[in-house]
Amino acid sequence: MKCVRKFDARPKLDGSWKFIDDYSYPEMIHGQLLYSKCHHGYIKKINFPENYDLSEFTIVSSKDIPGENIVPEPVCDQPFMMDKEVMHYGQGILGIAHPDRKLLLKFIKETKIEYEELPAITDIKECLNNPDNVFGRELTIDHRTGKKPDPHWDHHHKIYYTPHQEQAYLEPQGMIAVWQPKDKIMFVRATCQCPFFVKEGVEAIMGDSIKEAIIETSEGIGGAFGGKEDFPSLLAGITSLLSYKSGKPVKIVLEREDDIRITTKRHPSRIEIETWTDPEAKKIMKIDIDYRLDAGAYQTLSPVVLARGVLHSISGYSIPDTFIRGRLFRSNTPSNGAFRGFGAPQAFAAMEAHIDEIAAGMNINPYKFRKKNIFKIGDEFPTTQPILENHLSDCLERVIEKSNYFQKLEEFKEWNKTHKDKKGIGISIGYHGGGYTGNGEKVLNSEVKVVIEKDATVKIFVANTDMGQGAHTTLAQMFFEAIDHPREKCLVQLPNTSKTPNSGPTVASRTIYIIGNLLRKFAFKIKDELEFENLEEYVTSNQNEFPREFRMNFVQDPSVVFDDENYVGVAYKDYSWAACVTEIYFLADTYQIELTKSWNVMDIGKVVNQKIATGQAEGGVLQGLAYGLCEFFYKSGYGRMHGFTDYALPTTLDLPEIDVEFIHTDSPIAKGLGEIPMDFPAPSVRNAFHNATGIFIDEYPLVPERIFKHLKKI
Amino acid sequence: MKISFKLNNKNVTIDTDPMRRLLDIIREDFHLTGTKEGCGEGECGACTVLLDGKPVTSCLVNAVHIDGKEVMTSEGIAQEPLGKLLIDCFDETNAVQCGFCFPGFLVTSYHYVKTDGEKNLDKIKKALSGNICRCTGYQKIFESVMMACERN
Repeated sequence: MKCVRKFDARPKLDGSWKFIDDYSYPEMIHGQLLYSKCHHGYIKKINFPENYDLSEFTIVSSKDIPGENIVPEPVCDQPFMMDKEVMHYGQGILGIAHPDRKLLLKFIKETKIEYEELPAITDIKECLNNPDNVFGRELTIDHRTGKKPDPHWDHHHKIYYTPHQEQAYLEPQGMIAVWQPKDKIMFVRATCQCPFFVKEGVEAIMGDSIKEAIIETSEGIGGAFGGKEDFPSLLAGITSLLSYKSGKPVKIVLEREDDIRITTKRHPSRIEIETWTDPEAKKIMKIDIDYRLDAGAYQTLSPVVLARGVLHSISGYSIPDTFIRGRLFRSNTPSNGAFRGFGAPQAFAAMEAHIDEIAAGMNINPYKFRKKNIFKIGDEFPTTQPILENHLSDCLERVIEKSNYFQKLEEFKEWNKTHKDKKGIGISIGYHGGGYTGNGEKVLNSEVKVVIEKDATVKIFVANTDMGQGAHTTLAQMFFEAIDHPREKCLVQLPNTSKTPNSGPTVASRTIYIIGNLLRKFAFKIKDELEFENLEEYVTSNQNEFPREFRMNFVQDPSVVFDDENYVGVAYKDYSWAACVTEIYFLADTYQIELTKSWNVMDIGKVVNQKIATGQAEGGVLQGLAYGLCEFFYKSGYGRMHGFTDYALPTTLDLPEIDVEFIHTDSPIAKGLGEIPMDFPAPSVRNAFHNATGIFIDEYPLVPERIFKHLKKI
Repeated sequence: MKISFKLNNKNVTIDTDPMRRLLDIIREDFHLTGTKEGCGEGECGACTVLLDGKPVTSCLVNAVHIDGKEVMTSEGIAQEPLGKLLIDCFDETNAVQCGFCFPGFLVTSYHYVKTDGEKNLDKIKKALSGNICRCTGYQKIFESVMMACERN
């Protein structure tokens, strides 16, 4: 639990740390995408503006692609650039490059495209409410008993909606491709989470015209949150094509308004939940969940998001009779993609709301109702995976205790009697399975490499990127603490696909959990193999053995056996658990909710670096609270948001005091941390609003406009 | 048009389009890439610099506005004693995550500590409200600025 400082903090502060737009190459030109402003249709004509010398521009379309016009994804259905039919607003039509970036932007702005428009689905509800609009594989978890519900059981049936959420990484997407014709190598510098995904993307689009794509990340990756998981593959493909055609290094850095319009977002959801609860035992006896996601125009990685969503959709409750159905829905909007939580925040937003709904219907306190139903040792997930610890319940107990929940409940009730404004307090819980779902980690077969130099410097080679979460500091720490090696002599190298083995993508809360724990084991293994007490002394007295390279692969625990067809078995080896209590102040005149305090208790196992972990958790909780309170990307009658002006990100004045505590930190395993803080806070805002006003709102976020409309209806 | 101004305590003169953005001048002409473009519309604060001592978003300032004035970027502030103190505080709390917004936060925090400096959370929140950070949840930033106020 040491608080080793981040190795990159100081250069990031003084501005010397390089982000993608801070790199430059000789003769480099600038590229941009010309993308569709039509939701669905055919292109009749592209009219370039006059008064430009077209010979100065490099222009590529799908016709220039020497390889495949399909982005490698779990489902390969998305072209790099439009082929015949425009399927969504924001679809790439042309890649255009020019030495002068400003002139290029002006040229693109003035280029007019004539379309033959076809019917399009752009409205979230129109997309998700139409059962004929499904595509891809339907997932079901069928744990039904076949018994009919007892007629005395309380029946609750509700539909919950969650919005898109924009990752809003502060550094826009960007890519630099440098074609090296002599060696037939496409070198790409990327701001991305997954260098090997980018490599696959570039090699797919370039086909046999190149020998290899080498991807190296920029020093700084200015935030990602899932947004730089798959879109960079598409962007790198087009950038490479421009470099190949022009013969020059090409840099594409998206303008914020373009980034926000064309990149992936969190999937909007419609989650229908039907429950039957025994009123005497206060136990949920049967549940039926219909979990729907708006995937956008293509499936891409949505089936994986759907899988995780479905697997987390029951929240943390043991229910003997369960049926869960998950489906993807098609719309003419850019593919939705990865965002911290990956289907789980939608699941908890719905189920944690529904729990309060049932509790209110049965006139039982929401905490007490949760306690009756929460996972206990001996229970099972709907996939039949056994529950092996009571840590979720421990998180709930701790957060209730430290927030003085019951005392505040009484205080607020009294206060509300005499005030027009209202105070409220709400609970939510959540969890997150660490690493890839099911057999995913086995398939990934992650490999890490360590080189020990003559001066005893340990160089760690992993493909996992540091996008702000402090991964490269924490990963190094896990290695050097294991063998008591000096910190300054242990460094994670900048990921480069020609030097770094494929340790998998930087996603799924797997970096510390899978790669970090692997590095720790690796350190012990090297120590055993070389039989040293002190590595520096060993290297000094055995100079001829160094530099020396070591490699190790991740081996999945044999208990992880998952049937991907029937969704039965162990989906994740280890879960992080969490519970939250949020207090709000509702302003009756302006219909605004002010968050006053949020208490969060999490079990992420061993905490490697307390300050880094707390900082990451605080940031995630704020994203989660904002998901419940203010962030949305599409409004019926207005359309999609355009930038940071109309997309409401929380500022320093919007946040409550966020309290974070980690429990069960004596665990030998550091579990997933990246996503759990985002998963669970949103419904606590909704439940606190109900506590304050007695009103349930089933659509997120709880913006004043929605509250106003709701109150007017009543 | 010829524009003369002071950049990080040095007198400089450039010949440029008067409508060119200060952000581009700093990054392209002087290769000071600490000043970042996050949104280009004055919302995010990643491009904050001091203009005659006051924080401004350099994406909304044109060349013509800086003639005869003083501009300080994160690189310049990092050389000042108070800038160094702030960097120490941000480092100590492990506040920095992706870091893209931090040069902007450094500039705004420097202005606050220099001109007010009261260790007051509400005041600090107000002072920093023009800078967006998506990673941290802001709390460790507040903690760092409070620490700098105390130590200054």
